[in-house]
Amino acid sequence: MTRASVVFVVDDDPSVRSSLKFLLSSVGLQVESFESAETFLQRKPPDAPSCLVLDVRLRGLSGLDFQHELAARNIRIPIVFVTGHGDIPMSVRAMKAGAIEFLTKPYRDQDLLDAVRIALEQDRARREQERDLTDLQQRFDSLTPREQEVISMVVSGMLNKQIAGELGTAENTVKVHRSRAMEKMNAQSFADLVRMIEKLKGPAKKAS
Amino acid sequence: MSHAEFAAAHSEASQHIEQRWRTAFESSAIGIAMADFAGRFFAANSVFRNMLRYTESELYQLTFLDVTYEEDRKANQELVGQLVEGKRQHFEIEKRYCRKDGTLVWVRNNVSLVPGMGGVAPFWFAVVEDITQRKEEESARRYTEEKYRLVVETASDAVISLDETSTILLANPATTRVFGHTQEELIGKPLTMLMPEFLRKLHETGFNGYLATGQRHINWQGTELIGLRKNGKEFPVEVSFGELIQDGHRVFTGFIRDISERKQAEEIRRQAQKVIQTTQAELARVSRLTTMGELAASIAHEVNQPLTAVNNNSNACLRLLANQNLQPDVLRRALEEIVADGTRASAIIARIRAFIKKAPAEKNRLDVNEVIGEVVAMMGHGFEENGIVLQSELAEALPPVLGDRVQLQQVLLNLIMNGVEAMTAIIDRPRLLWVQSRIDESGDVLIAVRDSGTGLGLEADRVFTPFFTTKANGMGMGLSISRSLIEGHGGRLWASPNSPHGAVFSLTLPVDAENPS
Repeated sequence: MTRASVVFVVDDDPSVRSSLKFLLSSVGLQVESFESAETFLQRKPPDAPSCLVLDVRLRGLSGLDFQHELAARNIRIPIVFVTGHGDIPMSVRAMKAGAIEFLTKPYRDQDLLDAVRIALEQDRARREQERDLTDLQQRFDSLTPREQEVISMVVSGMLNKQIAGELGTAENTVKVHRSRAMEKMNAQSFADLVRMIEKLKGPAKKAS
Repeated sequence: MSHAEFAAAHSEASQHIEQRWRTAFESSAIGIAMADFAGRFFAANSVFRNMLRYTESELYQLTFLDVTYEEDRKANQELVGQLVEGKRQHFEIEKRYCRKDGTLVWVRNNVSLVPGMGGVAPFWFAVVEDITQRKEEESARRYTEEKYRLVVETASDAVISLDETSTILLANPATTRVFGHTQEELIGKPLTMLMPEFLRKLHETGFNGYLATGQRHINWQGTELIGLRKNGKEFPVEVSFGELIQDGHRVFTGFIRDISERKQAEEIRRQAQKVIQTTQAELARVSRLTTMGELAASIAHEVNQPLTAVNNNSNACLRLLANQNLQPDVLRRALEEIVADGTRASAIIARIRAFIKKAPAEKNRLDVNEVIGEVVAMMGHGFEENGIVLQSELAEALPPVLGDRVQLQQVLLNLIMNGVEAMTAIIDRPRLLWVQSRIDESGDVLIAVRDSGTGLGLEADRVFTPFFTTKANGMGMGLSISRSLIEGHGGRLWASPNSPHGAVFSLTLPVDAENPS
């Protein structure tokens, strides 16, 4: 973990805002607070693990609308909702849209802190995963087109001989491409390589 | 002149006279008939013969009684008898003859008994005038008069005729019914006796003014005035007058209608209108009160804010203390905020208190069916618009309850609106809303509102919890407030499932113990 995680508090009530900031910082968290969704959106997206503590009833853009707005902007930040009063459909909507927790004021402070920890942990995990994937993609991109071709065939279960036949080259040439690719991908074993390629395929499938 | 000459001359003269009489007799424009003492005709002129359509020879076979219409014979014979007895010199009779062809002819006869002279026996002499046309006209007039008389006699309105001095000439039986005076008490009296004091002078001035100038001071068709009954009671009347000249005198006929009932009906309608207006005004208040539910929700939200801040700050302080992380500045600032938020919370509470004090319950004796009727009226087209069929089953003669009309309206409106909203999504069955009232087993008045909507499922008990709602736009305060209002009346409000679909909300209200009706 290179950067300290940060909790963003968005609440239009100054007392609640400052007390939340105080409470969260009392357990060593870094806190930034905003009086509205709009002011938060003006800030550039954070680079560190982070989460939102959001009041449902906000002046201007409401908490739920704000949640949609973030999804639309592809800003993936876990949200802990707090509300003065909430009804069931409202909380269902929020949770379906991916909220971590939906707390009704006044809540137990431990519940809030737990929810915030879970949110931060989730964000940290997501960020790590994304970072791993980026590394892997970079390594894959560093292969030559022929190496990428050979690797895809290897992973699909073809023997070197078959690959050579398919590509119209010598079996030895295939072996060279294969070992170079393993090296560039930093794969410890054939199984490791298969896992890596599967990982890369995953998001690619989703994107298609 | 010799005797013979004289006799001849005399005879000639007699013949002339005789001839003249005969001619006069025959060519008379009026019927003339003679009959012997027994009544047999022996002479009749052509007018008479034509009148009866008999030939001379036929007629001379008959007596005057033979040709007199049966019904008139008795009267005729009586008069004949009086003449025979010498009680009178002649008589006049209007009677009917029966013609040869059986038809009747009305005649007026002037009859005398010519005494016998010399060799001539006494005989009857009748001058006969055909009065059929006059009789028919008379009969027609009588019929018309009778018709009018009947109308006037049976009219439900008082009909009074006045002369030029405003004296009552005629009054129909309805006048007695309307005013209480008998006809005898009215006729010959001034019309002003039927008016209250303050109208009398006005009437006299107006009436005399009209006689002098022809200017009417009131509309003669349907003017509303005040009448005075014999018992001294004043009452509203509608008066129409007409004028007619009779025998050179002006006669005024008035139709006076007692409109007490109509006025009463109008008054009732006006009262009803007023009730509707008041109810509408109360509805405005109710809708304000309904938003009181929303207000309470936002008040709760407001109270929660400082409480949350107090909790956050206190917990943060506790954590810092637990970690021996003691920075007096930080702690002081947190404590100051705690105090400020505490103050803020109590200010909000004070505001709620002040608000509630402004709307105290006003307990009156109420007919719950009436309140239900008002709430249904408040819904207006709300049922139709939502495709809902309303079925009321209200027990008659419910004892009154002691309650605040507006609060009960609010609760009922809330329950009915909930029922309506619970059915808006129903498309596979009728949307039925029942409103029932009755006495329950413990003697309380029970009101039930049933719907055929989605029902409450397992949440039946939770619906009364503040801020609980199943509605997308609900605040979850309506039922919670409703329950506290009903409990404030000493009653209960609960929910149960309706069979086969929907929910039943029932509430009880204790009967007004002081004044059971």
